[in-house]
Amino acid sequence: MIDKIMMALKSIDKNKNRNFLTMLGIIIGIASVICILAIGDGFTHVATKGMQNHNTKNKVTLEFTASSDEDTKSGFTRNDLAVLEGIKGVDHVKLTSSNPEASVTVQHKTKKTSATLNKSPKKLKLYKGFGTKVDAGDTGNIFISKDLADRAFKGKALNKSLVINDNVFVVRGIYKIGDFEYRPDIYVSKTIFKQLFASQISQDEAKISVNPSASKKAVGKSAVNEMKKFGEDAKLGKYSISHPDQISKSFTKTLNNITYFVAFVAGISLLIAGIGVMNVMYITVSERRKEIGIRRAFGATAGDIRNQFLIESIVLCLIGGLIGILLGYGVVSIINSFLPFKAMVTTYAIIMSLSVSTGVGLVFGFIPANKAAKSPLVGLLKEE
Amino acid sequence: MLKVTNIGKRYGKFIALENINLEVADGEFLAIMGPSGSGKSTLINILGLLDQKYTGEYLLKDKSYKETNDNYLSKIRGDQLGFVFQNFKLLTTYSVYENIEVPLIYSKQKQTNKHALVEDVIKKVGLEGKEKNLPSELSGGQQQRVAIARAIVNRPNLIIADEPTGALDSKTSTEIMNIFTELNKTGTTIIMVTHDSEVADYAMRTVYIHDGHLYDDEKSVKK
Repeated sequence: MIDKIMMALKSIDKNKNRNFLTMLGIIIGIASVICILAIGDGFTHVATKGMQNHNTKNKVTLEFTASSDEDTKSGFTRNDLAVLEGIKGVDHVKLTSSNPEASVTVQHKTKKTSATLNKSPKKLKLYKGFGTKVDAGDTGNIFISKDLADRAFKGKALNKSLVINDNVFVVRGIYKIGDFEYRPDIYVSKTIFKQLFASQISQDEAKISVNPSASKKAVGKSAVNEMKKFGEDAKLGKYSISHPDQISKSFTKTLNNITYFVAFVAGISLLIAGIGVMNVMYITVSERRKEIGIRRAFGATAGDIRNQFLIESIVLCLIGGLIGILLGYGVVSIINSFLPFKAMVTTYAIIMSLSVSTGVGLVFGFIPANKAAKSPLVGLLKEE
Repeated sequence: MLKVTNIGKRYGKFIALENINLEVADGEFLAIMGPSGSGKSTLINILGLLDQKYTGEYLLKDKSYKETNDNYLSKIRGDQLGFVFQNFKLLTTYSVYENIEVPLIYSKQKQTNKHALVEDVIKKVGLEGKEKNLPSELSGGQQQRVAIARAIVNRPNLIIADEPTGALDSKTSTEIMNIFTELNKTGTTIIMVTHDSEVADYAMRTVYIHDGHLYDDEKSVKK
């Protein structure tokens, strides 16, 4: 086999320029596929990394879904927490809320409207007003969104008073909500949130940490069963196990599908490159009729001749593929300095590129190689 | 070695060979003489198992290969026959050594054996030191020596030579014919096509071909 590859390399070397131009199609095609896959893989990696942070190995999340949409209060109680912590294999349980905002009714003069409310973040950029947050102990001041300011105050809200669930506050700042941003309508201080609104938020998630020796699946199952029996709000809704890893898996899958589709489109250029390979192999075969005749006269079978040209076509494409991978690697290193995330050339992408180049050589080399193999011998020997 | 009975060959209406009968003994050196277009090359293509489309019967070592599949024919050509062509038909981009090695690529010899066989024939035809040269760097006579070395490297029973001196001057022709004579002395059967009677004189026997018919002596042709 090695001598056959050497023979192929020699023939390719004989027509360097012509073969390099043919390879160029393969090189560009493979380099684009490598780049697209690298960007896709890099993005998928970054996008799913955040999800995986929440998805630590020994955690199970139990969810409560209320039967009524308007029910925002039912969920897990302190007693439920004790029950869950009593389950075998459970290390500890933390109750949280899937939607940590309170729904409130606000009133300015006689105008009433509903809004969402949360405690102030540590830092917020204001559109109007001063400061970057509502201080933890502040009992009278709030920030509201520009949207709420428009709705309730027709825009002029700064330093005006707003009644929230019968308590009066003064608007000290207005913030804008960006297109891809999610924020509630009102920010209050931590103290006020705890005193007046925290009780309104249902704790509908129980994050169960499982002992390393216990099975996540078994613990999750018994947690659901225990809650069905003893859960204080069992009659108001359903308990289920959430699977964040499944969500991240399906997200990864979607991203991958998009990447592969784009790579496939880039791969179409390989089809055109393949036609170039076929063309050059046809030329090679017709130029070397004398050689084919000589080899056939001295014992080469039709299959030997077919293999010779097929190997030549595959070697041509493989060299193109290898150069394409190197070029793709180079381009990826360059674009990495512009991208907000790191594009990655994976082993999978390399293996796939090499397989595709081999495939192109095989498919597009076959017809010319077969033509060489089937030429009538007497005619071949007349060639000079 | 071989027996040909009533062989005929047509290209459409043109009769290339008709009623050819010929027998060649083991170890014989036969010359086939005739002008161009007489059917010489057509006949040796059949004898060399290069052309299977003919009528009549051809037995090589008592076996007919008319119905044999193409792969097996290739094997028989590789193992039992050696060809020498008028214009040498060397692979121009391959070295002397690589040209001579061609028949061995397709035989099942071990690599070490292959090397020994090539070295052996290089000595036999007097091309020592030229192994790495390209054919274009050799004289006509040397190129024909490479072609002869290639034809005998597999130690075939029968060598078929088509105008082996056609492209050579008379001095070089003599050298080449001496190599053929030596080969014949070691037991190799040779069938040689030529139009040169001086070259044909090296053979033990000469037959004549004219307009597709074979004659045992020159006088019959003229009739």
